Amino acid sequence: MNGKMAKGEIESFGDFVTFIITELKPKGRGFTVFNVISAPTILLGVILIVYRLAKGLGYPVTNLSQEFPWGIWIGFDVMTGVAFAGGAYVLTFVVYILGLKKYHPIIRATVLNGFLAYVFYAGAILLDCGRWWNIANPIIGNKFGVNSVLFLVVWHFMLYTLAELVEFSPAIAEWLGLKRLRKILGSLTLGAVIFGITLSTLHQSGLGALVMMAKGKIHPLWYTEFIPVLFLISSIFAGLSMVIFEGTISHRVFSRQIDEDHHRSYNDILVGLGKICAVTMFGYFFLKVLIFIHGKHWSLLNTPMGYWYVFELIGFILIPCVLFVQGVKDRNLISIRVAAVITMLGIIINRLDYVCIAYKWYLPMSERYFPTWIEIVITLSIVFAEIWVFRWIVNRMPVLRKSPEWARQE
Amino acid sequence: MEGFTYVDIFATKGIEYLVIILFLLLIIPFWKFLSK
Repeated sequence: MNGKMAKGEIESFGDFVTFIITELKPKGRGFTVFNVISAPTILLGVILIVYRLAKGLGYPVTNLSQEFPWGIWIGFDVMTGVAFAGGAYVLTFVVYILGLKKYHPIIRATVLNGFLAYVFYAGAILLDCGRWWNIANPIIGNKFGVNSVLFLVVWHFMLYTLAELVEFSPAIAEWLGLKRLRKILGSLTLGAVIFGITLSTLHQSGLGALVMMAKGKIHPLWYTEFIPVLFLISSIFAGLSMVIFEGTISHRVFSRQIDEDHHRSYNDILVGLGKICAVTMFGYFFLKVLIFIHGKHWSLLNTPMGYWYVFELIGFILIPCVLFVQGVKDRNLISIRVAAVITMLGIIINRLDYVCIAYKWYLPMSERYFPTWIEIVITLSIVFAEIWVFRWIVNRMPVLRKSPEWARQE
Repeated sequence: MEGFTYVDIFATKGIEYLVIILFLLLIIPFWKFLSK
């Protein structure tokens, strides 16, 4: 590398090309357990995605049908994935609007996670569309589709992805050593954050609104006019649980990038996130109880779906809430992490309930939806590809490590 | 499309009010308990 590159400055297109070629080289060990499992899965997933786009949604690609039009691509990738990406809007609200700078060390990783989640899960929507070549219709106006909640979802996903890219862009400018651009992008952060939070409140609840027209098909214990509110509130603790989970892994995998101050403050950050989760889940639990009382479905509790409902409410809301409380009071990080994992499992189950478990619950098991191996492999490949991109970016850009000196002085 | 059914939204209003009041009474002590 020449002297200019050694100082981290790109002054010509040639410098840029040299820099990018250098950065494209793999970093770290090649044959790790994760790489050995994920790389073939991603390759197989790419082949299957091409096959799906060519052959359509019918069997053997998916087990989707007129009875069950949505499966794990919508239920897990989109609904659950976007709920988990909610950590970005919550944390940016906490840091930039409430001014709690204690959480600033993890903001870039969280925003990056959220950005990648929306990019990849918008891709999952593309895969789930029967006529995927029409995906741009809500934007370009070839039949906007304004009667559908999906019109809102498409626009919001696009705008929110752009807002998160703007929020993350100072890190890209620092990586490229573009000082003036870094200054301009830094000045856009607050506006992007406010825009992003505003968007998030609507599309998080909008994903719940998608199932509102399926009254009669969703079990009465799950169906309520308050589904959008439940989705919004649950996205708060779902997102923060994902932040706790991803942060725990990142701090182990990328520990050499993290300085002493950040390592020392991380325990405080975890306890703080646990506190927010505990309070939100406390409120969510009361809301669920209120909605149950309002629905007057007491007789349904003593049915198999009723047992499942109680199991979900107690096992995946109340118990992790208690674990969060215990973890916060005793500063027990293991409790907080276990609570986060249980919460995430609960969110997966809750979203899948609306799409295929409590959806058409009255059908016999032989007629219910189960994903094909192709759906499962494609889902895994999307998740693994996202992790690969996350790792690529964190290994090169100042996400977990401190920004360069010239950026910190601004 | 199901036929018309009358839903009496006031049937459970009393219990709902009690649940909400209980929540409001508990939330601030709960926050203080966590913040100690």
